[in-house]
Amino acid sequence: MRPFINISNLFLLLFLVSGAFAQTTINGTVKDNKGEPLPGANIYLKGTYDGVSSGLDGSFSFDTHTSGRQVLRTDFLGFESFEQEIDLEVGILQFDINLKEKFNQLTAVTITAGTFEAGDEHRSATLNSLDMVTIAGANGDIYGALQMLPGTSSNPESGKLFVKGGTSEESQTYIDGTLVLVPYTSSPPLTSTFGRFDPFMFKGTIFSTGGYSAEYGQALSSVLQLNTNDMPEEDELNISLLTVGAGIAGTKKWNTGAVRSSVNYTNLKPYMAIAPQQYDWNHPPEYFAADVSIRQKTGSTGLLKLYANFNNSFMSLNRLDLNNDKKLLAYDLKNDNFYLNGSWQTTMGKDWIYRSGISFTENNDIIDFDRVNFRETLRGVHQKNLFIHQLNQKVIIRMGTDFFVKTFINDFTQDDDNLLVDYSEFSGAAFTEAEVYLSNKFVMRAGGRAEYSDYLNHFNLSPRFSAAYKFDDHMLASLAYGRFVQNPLNSYLIYSSNIQPERADHYILTVQSSKKGRLFRSELYYKNYDDLVKVNSDEFYLPQAYDNSGEGYAYGLDIFWRDRKTIKNAEYWISYGYINAQRDFRDYPQRAIPSFVSKHNLSVVYKHWISPIRSLAGVSYKFSSPRVYHDPNLPGFHNRKTIPFHSLDVNLSYLHRENIIFYLGITNLPGFKQEYGNRFADLPGEDGIYASEPIVPGADRFFVVACFITLSKRGDLNQMDKIQ
Amino acid sequence: MRTSMSIFAGLLFLAATTASGQNYQQAMGSALGEFAQAKTVEDFRNAGNKFVMIANAEPAEWLPLYHHAHCYIMMSFFERTNPEKRDGYLDEAAISIDKMVELAPDQSEVFVMQGLLYSARLMIDPMTRGQQYSAMSAQSIGRALGIEPVNPRARYMQIANEMGTAQFFGNDISASCEKAQKLFDEWADYTVKSSFHPQWGREQVAEVLRQCSSRN
Repeated sequence: MRPFINISNLFLLLFLVSGAFAQTTINGTVKDNKGEPLPGANIYLKGTYDGVSSGLDGSFSFDTHTSGRQVLRTDFLGFESFEQEIDLEVGILQFDINLKEKFNQLTAVTITAGTFEAGDEHRSATLNSLDMVTIAGANGDIYGALQMLPGTSSNPESGKLFVKGGTSEESQTYIDGTLVLVPYTSSPPLTSTFGRFDPFMFKGTIFSTGGYSAEYGQALSSVLQLNTNDMPEEDELNISLLTVGAGIAGTKKWNTGAVRSSVNYTNLKPYMAIAPQQYDWNHPPEYFAADVSIRQKTGSTGLLKLYANFNNSFMSLNRLDLNNDKKLLAYDLKNDNFYLNGSWQTTMGKDWIYRSGISFTENNDIIDFDRVNFRETLRGVHQKNLFIHQLNQKVIIRMGTDFFVKTFINDFTQDDDNLLVDYSEFSGAAFTEAEVYLSNKFVMRAGGRAEYSDYLNHFNLSPRFSAAYKFDDHMLASLAYGRFVQNPLNSYLIYSSNIQPERADHYILTVQSSKKGRLFRSELYYKNYDDLVKVNSDEFYLPQAYDNSGEGYAYGLDIFWRDRKTIKNAEYWISYGYINAQRDFRDYPQRAIPSFVSKHNLSVVYKHWISPIRSLAGVSYKFSSPRVYHDPNLPGFHNRKTIPFHSLDVNLSYLHRENIIFYLGITNLPGFKQEYGNRFADLPGEDGIYASEPIVPGADRFFVVACFITLSKRGDLNQMDKIQ
Repeated sequence: MRTSMSIFAGLLFLAATTASGQNYQQAMGSALGEFAQAKTVEDFRNAGNKFVMIANAEPAEWLPLYHHAHCYIMMSFFERTNPEKRDGYLDEAAISIDKMVELAPDQSEVFVMQGLLYSARLMIDPMTRGQQYSAMSAQSIGRALGIEPVNPRARYMQIANEMGTAQFFGNDISASCEKAQKLFDEWADYTVKSSFHPQWGREQVAEVLRQCSSRN
């Protein structure tokens, strides 16, 4: 049989197959919704080699030999890709394509009311993670750094956070979503404290000074969310040597996990021997801290984090006993703190994320003062479940539960008498919240939280609402409303379960404008407090001494200006807060301005990178207007004012080699006089006058010199992020 | 008859694949030509557009993705004023790089491009991103060298990183210069697998050597 085709036909056939298709010309224009041409858009027949980029006027034209049904696709960065099925026929086809701007949650409007975010996850963040630790005067303390932001009132005799007219107890700290019951180190009354956690543990910080999500409860004033680092980059050993102590940390990494462990020891004795002190220490503060953190990837998307931290401190301070002929008395304070945090996150399917976390705290303060031995124990567990569901591109739903178990024990011994009081509470909460993007420019978040406490036998509901609108690429406005509830102080609950949680309503309006490295932000707020606990009798150990008849308010204006542009190699910010607050609570005889509120708070932070000497220099200035305090020798309540507070702090980080950094920090360089009012005797003396003593800081100035060394296989990693 | 039918079918297949192969060759050639000539963000975008089209037509090939990522990284270098735009271009490059890492994890060049992406991220804000991205870039380059120790682009990136650090600290760069000279001399010894495989880098090494010779 003769072959169907011979060799000569073969070439003809080849030619026919590849060249037989007739030509089609496709042309048109690509424009956006507003009819503006989009130059550089990619127009092509999907799966073929036929296509072209649009020209300056958005027009395009290309030829194709393909035939039949094809998909014409148009791509342009920042816009939704457009696909259209077309029938190719010989001749000219015309398409005018309109692309829709792509919705992108990362660049879409975000709710900024009340919130300062530091981290690299959102590029629009107000601060980045380094900012937290390079502020002069903060000395690497997270809470010290936050006190350079608007909305905070500085109370240097405490060192804790006081936000928008709230007490320090109204501010809560969460690590990876679970509560930290005791975030500060222990210190004697009227001396300054600082945070227990190393700021370098965290990749992101969100400081919310009001109007926060329903995910967070048990905080009337503010929530600090600290999110720990994921996997480390490589193995390393970090050594730190300071004038006040030393530390070492090691990181070991493997394919699916990592472990990091550190030990730190701090002792102020050598420092205090050379620097003049205003306090009379028997035993200057001595701290020991050890921690370990473990990271393990689970499956393809899961990450398990475990963190355990053990802290121990001891100090002994000689204090004037104002009640007893001004005799010197030793105040001994010993603290043991154990904190454990575990969290696990995984994705479930395409649209669900599940996060689970558990934290455990045990804190013991043991105080010996005069003939009294006082032991306070706080033990608590927080378990949290959070589900995040991306319903569609524009709707995110968050829901979850919280369970808290808490035990608080006070054990007094005076001479041979012993008194032990305690209470335990179990409480549960459920929350849900929906975030709806109505467009790239407009987002709303609404939700609520229900809580129940078995000890208080009380159930409450707190609604939350916030929204933001973006006027253009630079300016946005957001508002927030929320009801917030928090259990009364442990020291009240231990004597009474006949009281209810305290309550605050927040109303916040924020306008923010940012352009090319400059940011301006102003925030107006009003807070209404109700059901605050009052102590109506000196017999504090009786349940009937307590009721919820307290109330109060706070309103104010916060201004924040940050500029990373004007001065080359430098940046600065100015933060100012005005506040007006009054409340009637605790043992106040009447409504009054609280002693922790200063009407005007100003801070200026400046940092300059000096390239020739590879150093980052920083200067900070802080001012707080006088606060009120109570002088029992005068008529009225909160009848005196402190002197205004000023501090000028400087620091310098010098990058000596790739892996060695030297650091110098001086707090209150000019030695401004700092005094926070007076403390008084409990009873008047024979002359009818209450004895008193000024409340002062431990020293006029504080300085620290440090050296940080990093050893890694590469040798050029350093700890610049540790202090820069 | 059956034989002729199968020959016919075979021929049709051959013709179709040859056509496609020809198209791939042609399209890659023209896109790489455009890339070589590119001088502005727009030029790189247009070249990148071609690589997207090719990547769509040849989902099993990593080279179009590689060049697409390269275009967008170049766009980020050429965009001087707007850091958000720069990050936006790099987000686009990162998508192609992630696909490449899935598709061809045995290719040294894939990780060179990943290292270049991280260096580009770093350059947008060195003060705050320095630590994180220098480590990430070094890690990617290390991975590239692990797969292919002689890869000249990986060697170049490593030398450039070393030299940058040395210059910052005012340290001696002669060791880096020696390595760069050696790399430059050996450049021609490296066999490029095809004309579509990456070939850039020689100019950059020459630039390093110019810096070396002008340091005195």
